[in-house]
Amino acid sequence: MAFIKLNDLEVEVEDGTNVVEAARLHGIEVPHYCYHPGLSRPANCRMCLVEPHVFFPPAGAIVPDRQLATGCTTVLRTAPPNRKLDGKYDFIVYTDSPRVKKAREDILEFLLVHHPLDCPVCDQAGECDLQDFTYRHGHDKSRYLEVKNVPPKKDLGPDVLLYSTRCIVCTRCIRFCQEVSGSNELGLIHRGSHDEIDIPRSHDGMPLQLLDNKLAGNVVDICPVGALISKDFLFKSRPWFMKQEKSVCAGCSVGCNITVEYKEDGVYRLKPRFHEEINQHWMCDDGRLGYGYVNSDDRLQLPMKRVDGEFQPTHWADALTQITEKLSEADAEKVVVIGSAQGTNEDNYVLQQFAHEVLKTEHLGLFGALPGEEHTFPQFTIEADKNPNTAGARKMLSNGTPVLEGEALWKKVSEADIVYLVSGAPERSLEAEEKAVLESVDFLIVQDVLPSEVTALADVVLPGTTFAEKDGTFTNSKGWVQRIRKTVDAPGEARIDWEIIQQLARQLGGEMNYHFAGEISLAISENVSGYAEATHQNIGDSGVKLAE
Amino acid sequence: MVEEKRILYEHLDVPEIHTFDVFRQHDGYACFEKAVADYQPDDIAKMVMDSGLKGRGGAGFSTGLKWSFVPKDIKPCYLCCNADESEPGTFSNRYVLEKNPHLLIEGILICCYAMGIETTYVYIRGEFTLGKKRLDAAIKAAYANGYLGKNIRGTGLNVDIYTHPGAGAYICGEETGLIESLEGKRGQPRNKPPFPAVEGVFRKPTVVQNVETLCNLPFIVGNGVEWYTKMGPTYGDARFDPPKPDPNTGTKLYCISGDVNKPGVYELELGLTCAELIEVAGGLRGEQVKAVIPGGSSAPILTHYELDTRLDFTSLTLAKSMLGSGGIIVMNETRNIVDCLLNIMKFYAHESCGQCTPCRWGTPWVRDIVQRIADGNGRKSTITRPKFGIAENGRWGDTGETEDIYEDLDLLESVANNIANVDTMTWNTICVFGIAVSWPAVSYMRKFRPEFEATIREGKLTTLSVEEATVPPEENYAYQQRIVPRELE
Ligand SMILES: Cc1cc2nc3c(=O)[nH]c(=O)nc-3n(C[C@H](O)[C@H](O)[C@H](O)COP(=O)(O)O)c2cc1C
Ligand code: SF4
Ligand code: SF4
Ligand code: SF4
Repeated sequence: MAFIKLNDLEVEVEDGTNVVEAARLHGIEVPHYCYHPGLSRPANCRMCLVEPHVFFPPAGAIVPDRQLATGCTTVLRTAPPNRKLDGKYDFIVYTDSPRVKKAREDILEFLLVHHPLDCPVCDQAGECDLQDFTYRHGHDKSRYLEVKNVPPKKDLGPDVLLYSTRCIVCTRCIRFCQEVSGSNELGLIHRGSHDEIDIPRSHDGMPLQLLDNKLAGNVVDICPVGALISKDFLFKSRPWFMKQEKSVCAGCSVGCNITVEYKEDGVYRLKPRFHEEINQHWMCDDGRLGYGYVNSDDRLQLPMKRVDGEFQPTHWADALTQITEKLSEADAEKVVVIGSAQGTNEDNYVLQQFAHEVLKTEHLGLFGALPGEEHTFPQFTIEADKNPNTAGARKMLSNGTPVLEGEALWKKVSEADIVYLVSGAPERSLEAEEKAVLESVDFLIVQDVLPSEVTALADVVLPGTTFAEKDGTFTNSKGWVQRIRKTVDAPGEARIDWEIIQQLARQLGGEMNYHFAGEISLAISENVSGYAEATHQNIGDSGVKLAE
Repeated sequence: MVEEKRILYEHLDVPEIHTFDVFRQHDGYACFEKAVADYQPDDIAKMVMDSGLKGRGGAGFSTGLKWSFVPKDIKPCYLCCNADESEPGTFSNRYVLEKNPHLLIEGILICCYAMGIETTYVYIRGEFTLGKKRLDAAIKAAYANGYLGKNIRGTGLNVDIYTHPGAGAYICGEETGLIESLEGKRGQPRNKPPFPAVEGVFRKPTVVQNVETLCNLPFIVGNGVEWYTKMGPTYGDARFDPPKPDPNTGTKLYCISGDVNKPGVYELELGLTCAELIEVAGGLRGEQVKAVIPGGSSAPILTHYELDTRLDFTSLTLAKSMLGSGGIIVMNETRNIVDCLLNIMKFYAHESCGQCTPCRWGTPWVRDIVQRIADGNGRKSTITRPKFGIAENGRWGDTGETEDIYEDLDLLESVANNIANVDTMTWNTICVFGIAVSWPAVSYMRKFRPEFEATIREGKLTTLSVEEATVPPEENYAYQQRIVPRELE
């Protein structure tokens, strides 16, 4: 630990922390643009200048250093005993001296020389570092009288637009493509005040390579201004009109921490949230842009039953009664219950309880999205398992007996009379043998979020909910149990999955009385091995890692 | 009358000296052979330190000291020869490359021997096509004659030299910009520390040295330290007690251009005055000296009052200017200083690498302000303000008089100082290009303020007489602060 004098504070910081981070830890803002904790530090924006104080032998005193230093590259370390300042400090640094304040004003003035200040039509307004820092540290007037540079707007790739006029050339986007995605699509063209971010182009301006990698969306997040803009979010909403909730991405088994930004009428965007061990600062575009189905007009909104081969909407009481009648008559040996790797631990735990305690069946299976491809990048991996909770669902469902998966599952299903299948995987197509087996089932109950090949075979369809509409936990492939949180309401009559299951259980005489997902997690922590610590309270925002 | 003192340029005019055979006939490579035969590598490093040799590329940093920073235990270590001579007004390296490239190779060999270096890169300005051709041919000849390559002349030394042409960027002359460019990246200077001596080419210790600096090495080794230190003055640094010797030893290749009768490169002992130099270059063309740029376009300008300033590293630093690359540009009474500044600012605005905020957007802004003034659109306020100057108590302060407010001159000074402050010598930029911009901008404007004011008042470029245009030294803030050097007995 290094003992630092930071302005008027005396603080201890970990060796190796830079001044920007040390100040942030103690609630002091050191404005910066090019520095990003997940990237290298070129110190080119010159915004984070701070004033170190050093011992000056001729004067025998501690004086401000001759040059200001960039806070991002000034790393704090324990000094040897004979190099301590004032006998005790390892470093003395001021972030609020008059010199520092003047330097900040000057840099901000330069940054705005060519900046269009088109905040009224800029997507970034409201979450813009240039706006915020100018407001807090800058001048209110410009002394620049000349004509501003107007570099062209560019279409960089499938989801990213560049408003070059707003770019402050911090090079975060370039460094991201070099260091994290390793795909090197971005670079600088021209020089000096004509610096422009661009993709490789032929001499006549035709793109030779697009900003088209599965991590590309991150450059929009890290761009401190409104230069890089997501086409998906373009002109959709002002940031301050959206509500935010901390959650976890449902796109694959990595389980990136995210913030869901939403309004009453739907989810607007997903942004990565820092988790040191899982996703650091990043998430992939499949996850980021994959939320569309949540807002889809096609969402299942009412229970449906098959009448003369055609689906008809019905009400919950009717659908549930039809199901309970079938189930109460059935032979437990011939009932198969299939949970979903898209569902939460809570959903699957309740389903398992229902199967064991009420239906008395041992035939529990696991269903979910089909595996995709694994993509690896220098600092990120997108996993092939496209379900967020395979590990968790398997554990919850297998309480006692092994879970049926793959061939074993489909063999059981082929012998079953009644199958209750919870899916929740958007765009889940069926493979030929899966389809054949499901077609042969006498009575197929499907709980899902969108019409699919699975629901097409059902006798009763129950509308469930997506990750954005419920509380609960997911367990990722590395054993991290993390919280998802409800943002928007489920569409129409769709209901939380475990509530539907609990309702069925009760109608069949089961004793289940959960009110919140949190209560289920308490039951899980008591009854599922390894999950003792995994209560919602413990999990908090950053998750709990299961013992290996 | 001062005589030229030709050492580096001694054989410059010998026909065909760029060929190996002619160079050998003129004792070529003898100094290198002497170095290897008579001295240990550490002895050479010590000789260079004792010789007081200062880098000729611009910064004037002690070469021996630079070598002492190179960690001994990290290998490989590289030598980078900076031949990217692009400072306006500077053209001495070019003659070495074109006329006597073997001298540079000999210098490189001595440096490599002293520092245990096996690989040298020579970064040549792209426009020097003949220079590169000649150097490449010389390198080839040296390889053929066993002066380069493996086990040089049976000494066990291995040295390889690679030449690399620049692509036309001034900033690739800055040592870390050069290194980035050499590594195949955009020529953008690095943050320092670490300095190249510790972490340079391919993140390995690297000695970056100007062509002229390296060309001095054979003579230091060949003729001895004592002979070398006799040339040029050695001052005492008065901040220390007793004054620390501050050597300005050796000769300098002064490049004189502008309004002189015989512009060109002159090799002279360090320490002669501006006026003497103009004499050497055939005297002034025109009636009167108006201004002298002493060290390439980045250096603060000197007025006709300052012609007795000695052109060496220390004296010019104390006069708040610099020797820089030794590119001296003389201007006579017909020159308009606003126009000169505009010319220089156009160059810098074009050459900023654009990496860091103040320089990227400040430099073109400074150019635009000067352009506006030169176009006759400079702004002058209708109100006045208290005038600062020599006050009644004889010190700098409020004089009790009032002065007109020239808004664009205030703006020019403020913007330039925000890139790099010339009074406190602090900069907010990554490299010292920033100060190379604000130094001329502020010094021209302060020292020739009447000409700037007249141009704004008249609404067009207005050239005043030398006396009218120049701020007298006693009214000049920078001049006020200058310290006159003390020579060691
Ligand atoms: C903007 C800028 C341009 C420079 N251009 C050159 C140059 O063209 N040639 C050169 O030798 N040094 C140049 N330098 C100085 C180098 O950075 C470096 O100090 C020098 O090559 C060191 O060699 P020396 O110690 O032998 O002088 C430049 C420095 C700056 C800041
Ligand atoms: S980038 Fe920021 S300051 Fe610039 S227009 Fe957008 S919101 Fe405004
Ligand atoms: S586009 Fe954004 S992230 Fe990229 S350099 Fe410009 S301001 Fe920085
Ligand atoms: S000061 Fe100018 S030239 Fe130097 S790194 Fe910054 S932008 Fe580039």
